[in-house]
Amino acid sequence: MLPEVKTANWVRNPIDSFTLAKLEANGLTPAAEADRRTLARRLSLDLIGLPPAPEVVDHFVADTSLDAYEKLVDALMASPRYGEHRARYWLDVARYADTHGLHIDNYYEIWPYRDWVINAFNQNMHFDEFTIEQLAGDLLPNPTQSQLIATGFHRCNITTAEGGTIPEENLANYARDRVETTSWVWLGLTANCAVCHDHKFDPITTKDFYSMSAFFRNTTQEHTDKNIRDTAPVMVLPEGKDLERWKSIPGEITAANAAIAERRKQIVPDFEKWFQATTPAEVSTRIGATLVSLPLNEGSGKEVHGSIAGAEQTLSREQDYQWKPGKAGQGLVVDKGSTLDLGDVADFERTQAFSVSAWVHVTGNGSLISRMDVAKGYRGWDINIKDKEILVYLVNKWPENSILVTTQGAPLRPNDWRHITVTYDGAGKAGGVRISVNGVESKMRVANNTLTDTIRAVTPLRVGQRSTGEFFSGEVQDLQIFTRKLAPIEIQGLMRMPEALLGAAKAVAQRSPRDKTQLSEVYFAGDASAVANSHKLVQLDNEQKGIQARSVVTGIQQERMDTQPMAHILYRGQYDQPRDEVGAAVFSALHPLPKGAPHNRLGLAEWLMDANNPLTARVTINRMWQEVFGAGLVKSAEDFGIMSEPPSHPALLDWLAVEFRESGWDMKHMMRLIVTSATYRQSAALTRDKLERDPQNRLLSRGPRFRMDAEMVRDYALAATGELSPKIGGASVKPYQPEGVWEAVAMPGSNTREYKPDTGESLYRRSIYTFWKRSAPPPAMEAFNAPTRETSCLRRERTDTPIQALVTLNGEQFVEAARVLATHALKAAINEGDSPFDYIARHLLGRSLRPQEIAIVKKSQHDLLERYTAHPDEAKALLAVGDTKLDASLPEPQLAAWTMTCNQLMNLDEVLNK
Amino acid sequence: MHPLDARSLYQTRRQFLGRGANVLGFAALASLLGRDPHALALDAAAHPLVPHFAPKAKQVIYLHMVGGPSQMDLFDHKPEMAQWYDKDLPDSIRRGQRLTTMTSGQTRFPIAPSKYKFAKYGQCGMEMNAELLPYLSQCADELCLVRSMNTEAINHEPAITFMQTGNQVTGRPCLGSWVSYGLGSLNQNLPTFVVLVAEPTNREQLQAISGKLWTAGYLPGEHAGVAFRSKGDPILYINNPPGVAMETRRKTLDGLDALNQLNYNALGDPETHTRISQYEMAYRMQASVPELTDFSKEPAGTFELYGAEAKKAGSFANSALLARRLVERGVRFVQIYHNNWDHHSNVSGRLPDQCRDVDQPCYALIQDLKQRGLLDETLIIWGGEFGRTIYSQGGLTTTNYGRDHHPRCFSMWMAGGGTKPGTVYGETDDFSYNIVRDPVPVHDFHATILQLLGFDHRRLSYRYQGLDGRLTGVEEAHVVKALLA
Repeated sequence: MLPEVKTANWVRNPIDSFTLAKLEANGLTPAAEADRRTLARRLSLDLIGLPPAPEVVDHFVADTSLDAYEKLVDALMASPRYGEHRARYWLDVARYADTHGLHIDNYYEIWPYRDWVINAFNQNMHFDEFTIEQLAGDLLPNPTQSQLIATGFHRCNITTAEGGTIPEENLANYARDRVETTSWVWLGLTANCAVCHDHKFDPITTKDFYSMSAFFRNTTQEHTDKNIRDTAPVMVLPEGKDLERWKSIPGEITAANAAIAERRKQIVPDFEKWFQATTPAEVSTRIGATLVSLPLNEGSGKEVHGSIAGAEQTLSREQDYQWKPGKAGQGLVVDKGSTLDLGDVADFERTQAFSVSAWVHVTGNGSLISRMDVAKGYRGWDINIKDKEILVYLVNKWPENSILVTTQGAPLRPNDWRHITVTYDGAGKAGGVRISVNGVESKMRVANNTLTDTIRAVTPLRVGQRSTGEFFSGEVQDLQIFTRKLAPIEIQGLMRMPEALLGAAKAVAQRSPRDKTQLSEVYFAGDASAVANSHKLVQLDNEQKGIQARSVVTGIQQERMDTQPMAHILYRGQYDQPRDEVGAAVFSALHPLPKGAPHNRLGLAEWLMDANNPLTARVTINRMWQEVFGAGLVKSAEDFGIMSEPPSHPALLDWLAVEFRESGWDMKHMMRLIVTSATYRQSAALTRDKLERDPQNRLLSRGPRFRMDAEMVRDYALAATGELSPKIGGASVKPYQPEGVWEAVAMPGSNTREYKPDTGESLYRRSIYTFWKRSAPPPAMEAFNAPTRETSCLRRERTDTPIQALVTLNGEQFVEAARVLATHALKAAINEGDSPFDYIARHLLGRSLRPQEIAIVKKSQHDLLERYTAHPDEAKALLAVGDTKLDASLPEPQLAAWTMTCNQLMNLDEVLNK
Repeated sequence: MHPLDARSLYQTRRQFLGRGANVLGFAALASLLGRDPHALALDAAAHPLVPHFAPKAKQVIYLHMVGGPSQMDLFDHKPEMAQWYDKDLPDSIRRGQRLTTMTSGQTRFPIAPSKYKFAKYGQCGMEMNAELLPYLSQCADELCLVRSMNTEAINHEPAITFMQTGNQVTGRPCLGSWVSYGLGSLNQNLPTFVVLVAEPTNREQLQAISGKLWTAGYLPGEHAGVAFRSKGDPILYINNPPGVAMETRRKTLDGLDALNQLNYNALGDPETHTRISQYEMAYRMQASVPELTDFSKEPAGTFELYGAEAKKAGSFANSALLARRLVERGVRFVQIYHNNWDHHSNVSGRLPDQCRDVDQPCYALIQDLKQRGLLDETLIIWGGEFGRTIYSQGGLTTTNYGRDHHPRCFSMWMAGGGTKPGTVYGETDDFSYNIVRDPVPVHDFHATILQLLGFDHRRLSYRYQGLDGRLTGVEEAHVVKALLA
């Protein structure tokens, strides 16, 4: 099975047989094993992504046992830092980030998924389980919280809430991203060509593409992310007492709903009795504690009638009132020439709960109803219409002592009657004002929330104006005021009132079935038990929302239960050109769905991990290889298709794939195999011969050496200086970043517009925890080829640019780190008599400096000391960089000079390279 | 309990490997089975990065008006519309075309004729707004105006992305990156592709402008745009830390170079030399950027030409002047974004502010480059991501109105760089709603730009994910020859 090799004693494990055979076939010999210091550093960087502590290196160098190397490997793989390092690669694949990605690009909370990934690697979750939980954890029987969090994988795609976008287009884009990502990650196939046309080179048809997309189109996710952090579906992760309540609230909601339904049945006989005898006057006050009830449906004459403060009253005037068709029957025209004065009523205090309900047809702006004294600093209250919005004023003195809440989204219509309800809980805060339109609570905005004193006003209650001015323009029906907060069920009843009143005015025999329905809704809305439960539902809903708002949440996938996965083939990929409908299906050229697998994401995940699938094991192990060697055995990690470069070691790739599968998809086992091979342990030194014959190290004629990824470059500096925080997991953090990076690109309304760096420990967390705004990724990382995380990235580029040099030379994080390292080095020199050069080199390079190097560094150091001695102001300025407190016991010019020496050495090619 | 345990069937290696043979078309796999995948592959020879023909333009300044300027208020005069005030857009014109969800709910689509006077300018008689473009109109004979641009996208994010990268979905290289990739650098101490985000005076309706518009997409990262900033460091991290003088930096770099050389001697990795040279390039950038952004030596005439606003950091005028200085110093591609052209309402309140920001600087840039003999080799492009509707969004009066996004036609202009001056190309119907003659889709526009730069758009490609990626996409695009001098 394994290839024959000449120098068999070089072989440490089967990997080496393959690589050595290839080298021998090409007339090359392997490089010598790297020295132990180099190996300790390489292993540490590959396994935990951090440089080794000097003691770790020393211990390894001194360890004469036969398995010293394996012991080091095991120790590193057991470190929780291992999971963080592996997770970082996977988060590129998962396109994980902390904002939605498009347009406003607000904060999006899904970091518990990031922690799940870290934990999965640390627990050595096997790759099949890892796959299934991420793609379909929600479809497993009785999924655990962890399995649900795992489904965040396909909730990491970019989303939008741009106004004007078309829902179908957004949903098509999300599904497309998920098909492409799945296909790259597990199959190494670039399905993206098949969005528009059958793949030119690989056997993927457009039908295949959209059939695959059906798997991902049957979730409850909406087309818009709504610019909120908890874009549904989410998993809420409450803690402590909240967790208990969070678990019991759904049951209480069900119980309250059941009680309402039960009550509805119970009262039928009472209603039937009532129905036979009721009158318009009784109906109009059925919903209790009415302070004012004006049906405003007379339709002619000089009088309107109603109940005001418990008494039947008539409001008459000299000329006829004007009427127009209303919600039901006729409605009263209210405008500058026709407003109503209701007298000294509804003189509410700030602490008085109240509600107002009315049917309106607006043709302009102005006050619907108010008790407001304009001359007295607008003292009082007013429900006002402006540009199709409803404004609720509660004013002591405008504007400094007032509440103003307005609807958003212009819910009123010039051509349509709308039912408005305003409720106020009497708590003196804008949050206690609720506005509903046609029984649905509106989106609201708090414009003022500064009320602290009374709102009682010496002026009559008026319909259609304030004490002066703000004349209403339109028609009104069934205006009611209550001295309490209405429950939703009562609002539903009030909506029916105009029709119910007309119905009640008819003889019983003349009433239509619709009349009866409307009357029954009004009757039910006046039932104390139903109202109590309706209030309870509101309270439970508020409690639930409150818990969600203060808890950590994370985006998950949730299958729709009412529909089967399906999709349309989109002509040329255009969402508005749907063609044939297709069900969920896997790529037709590959193996079929396993027998008995469900036609949903779980089936898809099982298909990917199926024994008949030749691709997943290969593409996965290839990426693992790429992490360690810098390039995969197939260089195009995302593309194993016909247009890809063939593998450098096809038989090795095969062997690894089989080994991976036969190990039960054990990722740690595979990583251990790779790093314990002789191939891996080679020195990275290049000879002229190898440079010519194996310039890219595709033949693996030497050990891996390449510039570290963005996160490693920063983490390296933090670890070498001892600043790195040991904390694992939690919300993303904001370390140093130059000013204005977010501001330059962010939309005005974005909540990720201003970057405010954290303080303390959060400045020194591992880079995997750095907050990632997709439209402005951390600039120091971007400079080092970090992806934007907008789409899945299976292979980072590795370019060398001058901007990178500027980051590590001038970036605040790096300059501060240099000062901290210099401080430690000087302290060690004072306390232990160590050479600062040696201290710095051992922490940065894992070795001591060589004589030639010392000469150069000493010369620099000497010049720097001279400079900073002559320019103490410069020393002071340099040492002020970064939040870490300056060690005042050290002379500033000396510390500054050593800081710049550290800055110099932290920029060594050797430091920046693995 | 492992979810797949019950299902997992043990297979022998032979069976497992054998499956590969059933999967046709996977190169990596096919080669395992002894086939030559490249015998199957189409001929996709590597393209040498030398221009395919002699370039007319060597440098580009692209002025992107973010939000979508109103074509019928600026460059596409529709006098017939005066008769149509507040009348409904005929169905025969709209033809059921999709609208954004911002106006698709409107019950009426009342026509809003432009409130502005138009006049003909220059010897070519180019017609444009006679109230808001007093400067630009004076160089009508330098402009190459296209009135028949059209795009596929209807909302900003995809439309800007399409205009910049030729694809509505984010992740492809932008025009600047393609030019950097195709033509390379012209200088030793500045980036090849620079991006400037100008601050508009009026900020009522800003749209998102993000770094993804100037990423290199699938091209190598060095072709990404480098954003110059008007506040803080002009280039991120360009300034030495406080207390580090240039001499100090020079000395530490000397030591660093020497140490890296020792490392090279020991390991022989050519990348080490690349690093040394990048650190030196960084130093040269540090040394040259202060001079670049210091306008104090510009003669007074410069500020007469560009306007006093040019002294205000971050203004469009300031960015235009910086663009000229960048071009002079050999920067290949300068991209300027100017925001707030998204006039859903209050056109008459916002459009004058927008024009005041850009009118004089655009004129100045053309004149300035011409005086310096750079206009022939520098292509200037002006335009947004789509046009606007003839019908009003929201309230309509004779003096004010709003306009929604309109992808079916819009106007852009170019100047210099081998374009045909004094040209008006393409025509729209009386409603500026549909194109009636010579449509120019975005891909054709891109193909034309590449042609001016010396590239055949079909051959300027980059192999990625199994495809030869191109700015102009997979479908056929055409160079608009009438726009070429």
